[in-house]
Amino acid sequence: MYTEFSQLPIEKRQDIEKHWWKKIHRMDLLYLCYGITIVSLVVISYFLGAFNLLPFDPEEMDLDNMMVGIGAEGHILGTDFMGRDLLSRMILGIQAYFLPGLLAIVIALSFGSFLGVLSGFYGGRIDTGVTYFNNLVDSFPRLVLILLVVAAFKPDIYYIMIIVGLTNAPVVAALIKNKIQFLKQKNFIESSIAMGLPTHLIIFKHILWYNCRSILIIQATLGMGEAILMETSLSYLGFGVQEPTPSWGNMVQAGSNYLMQGNFWPSTAPALAIMFTILGFYLLGDALNHILEGRKS
Amino acid sequence: MNTAEHLKIEDLHTYFYSNVKRAFIHSVNGVSLTVNKGETLGIVGESGSGKSISMLSTMGLINAAPGVLQGEVTLHTKQGSESLLKGLDQFVKIDIQDKRIISVKKDLNAWNKQVENNMKHIRGKEISMIFQNPKAAMNPYETIGKQIVEMVLLHTELRNKHEAKEKAVYWLERVKIDSPQWRFDNHPFGLSGGMCQRAMVAMALSSEPSLLIADEPTTGLDATIQSKIIDLLAELQQELGITMVLISHDISVISRLSDNIAVMYSGTVMEQGPAKAVLDVNSDKTHPYTQALLSSVPEEHNLLANGHLKSIDGEVPDTIDIPAGCRFYARCKMKHSGIEKQCHHENPPFQEISPGHRVRCWLRIN
Repeated sequence: MYTEFSQLPIEKRQDIEKHWWKKIHRMDLLYLCYGITIVSLVVISYFLGAFNLLPFDPEEMDLDNMMVGIGAEGHILGTDFMGRDLLSRMILGIQAYFLPGLLAIVIALSFGSFLGVLSGFYGGRIDTGVTYFNNLVDSFPRLVLILLVVAAFKPDIYYIMIIVGLTNAPVVAALIKNKIQFLKQKNFIESSIAMGLPTHLIIFKHILWYNCRSILIIQATLGMGEAILMETSLSYLGFGVQEPTPSWGNMVQAGSNYLMQGNFWPSTAPALAIMFTILGFYLLGDALNHILEGRKS
Repeated sequence: MNTAEHLKIEDLHTYFYSNVKRAFIHSVNGVSLTVNKGETLGIVGESGSGKSISMLSTMGLINAAPGVLQGEVTLHTKQGSESLLKGLDQFVKIDIQDKRIISVKKDLNAWNKQVENNMKHIRGKEISMIFQNPKAAMNPYETIGKQIVEMVLLHTELRNKHEAKEKAVYWLERVKIDSPQWRFDNHPFGLSGGMCQRAMVAMALSSEPSLLIADEPTTGLDATIQSKIIDLLAELQQELGITMVLISHDISVISRLSDNIAVMYSGTVMEQGPAKAVLDVNSDKTHPYTQALLSSVPEEHNLLANGHLKSIDGEVPDTIDIPAGCRFYARCKMKHSGIEKQCHHENPPFQEISPGHRVRCWLRIN
């Protein structure tokens, strides 16, 4: 049912005016709440890990309770094959994702928008050069590149995330370039120049903020998911975060050896954490995009 | 009305290069125009005659190579006169053979930098421009109010956001938008085409320019809205005393607004003069092209015997191979008047036949 705002009863109108969240679509509100919950859990876990406020010492082996399931006495999420507390290790595992993931996002967005603006706004030879660079990066298998870097330096999560960020940059660049070219077809940029707007205002305010912010938000949340997934696949190959430092990826890998014996929990718990976290970031991005740009349906 | 010059364009050349045909496209080929202070100059001509390109060149908005090559553009402001193309000729090297430019070397980067430098105090502050598709010319993600406030803060003395908002609402009211307070928070897609063009006019005027270039402001609007926009422009021009350049392919739009009219064809100005002299249907002083344009206006006395509209036979010639003689020769109805040879082989000069009325036609000069 659609009713004009002015026709609603006065209490309802005042109610809507007073509470900003009543203007948001119900689904978006749900996504937003879920996303914010997940992100704040991640942030809280990061600080808990950073200040070492864990329920158990993550490296202390409880040899009496090896591979106990969920809900065991003392160990809420159970223990792994060496009797280490899973909850503590999962909280500490965030350390491998939070700051490195942010680094990957910052690199991807800043480098990507720099390239995108260069090729879209200035065009010509710069555009050709940037396109060739993007094709080069796109055509090179990312995993091989990361393995090369890990082999050349050391398996440090920051090196991996720098590469993840750099290889994500061409995607951002291509999206921003397309957007700018679309805007150039409508002569909005031309008219802005004719109106005497300085170039930095046009690029940063009108192009990047107003017209590309949905791209940037989506890419930021996708980038976080990408970073977590990339670490997981590397850990599975044994090139991610190295034991005994926990990360969700190497916890899945370590636990998978015992799946066949029926002890699925040490592997499933971090896998579920990965799933819900990535989902949280994606849905948060979706909700923010809908709130900022308006829902399409 | 005083007749001090405001903008003077002399012998402007803007070329493009066709990579397929390996030839220059002579989009603007020696355009000379004068706009008097406080008056309206209407530029009329068919599509592709170089109307828009000559004004975009004036504003330094041509990005494609080689772009503007030669010419002199002088703008008279309160601070004195200023050449908009100053210091630019050092970046261009031109080879001329038989009065035709055959090769060009242009340092585009240095040129663009110099243009930015020259235009920094001109764009928005002295000259504003409105474009033909208002919805495409505004930021689709920002409210029209905020865009106008941005203009006000950039180009006027107002620094206070609240005052700037009041000013923006004032301008929205000035262009006759209903309930401007409310429309202030609308995005461009929330407005109709006509209202969006009004907002665009408000945005262009909010920086208080002395010259307004309107590039086909009524194209894409329906007929009643068109005439309302034209009335609005005429009214604002009278009240604010600004100078206006109006570009249109519709000679009836031009005739309603202009004090002076320039008729463009194939990259040159064929005729410029006071509106009365140029629009005089019975005059034998005007250019045959102007007469042909006037007789193809859809009005009752212009209809043919079978009730059809008159049209100008032939097509606008492409601007790659420009003829040596008169550009309009191929379509001219008066070419059989005994001077065909001269018309065919020699390009007529742009000569003054009465004060302020210049024509490029052998028939009128002789």
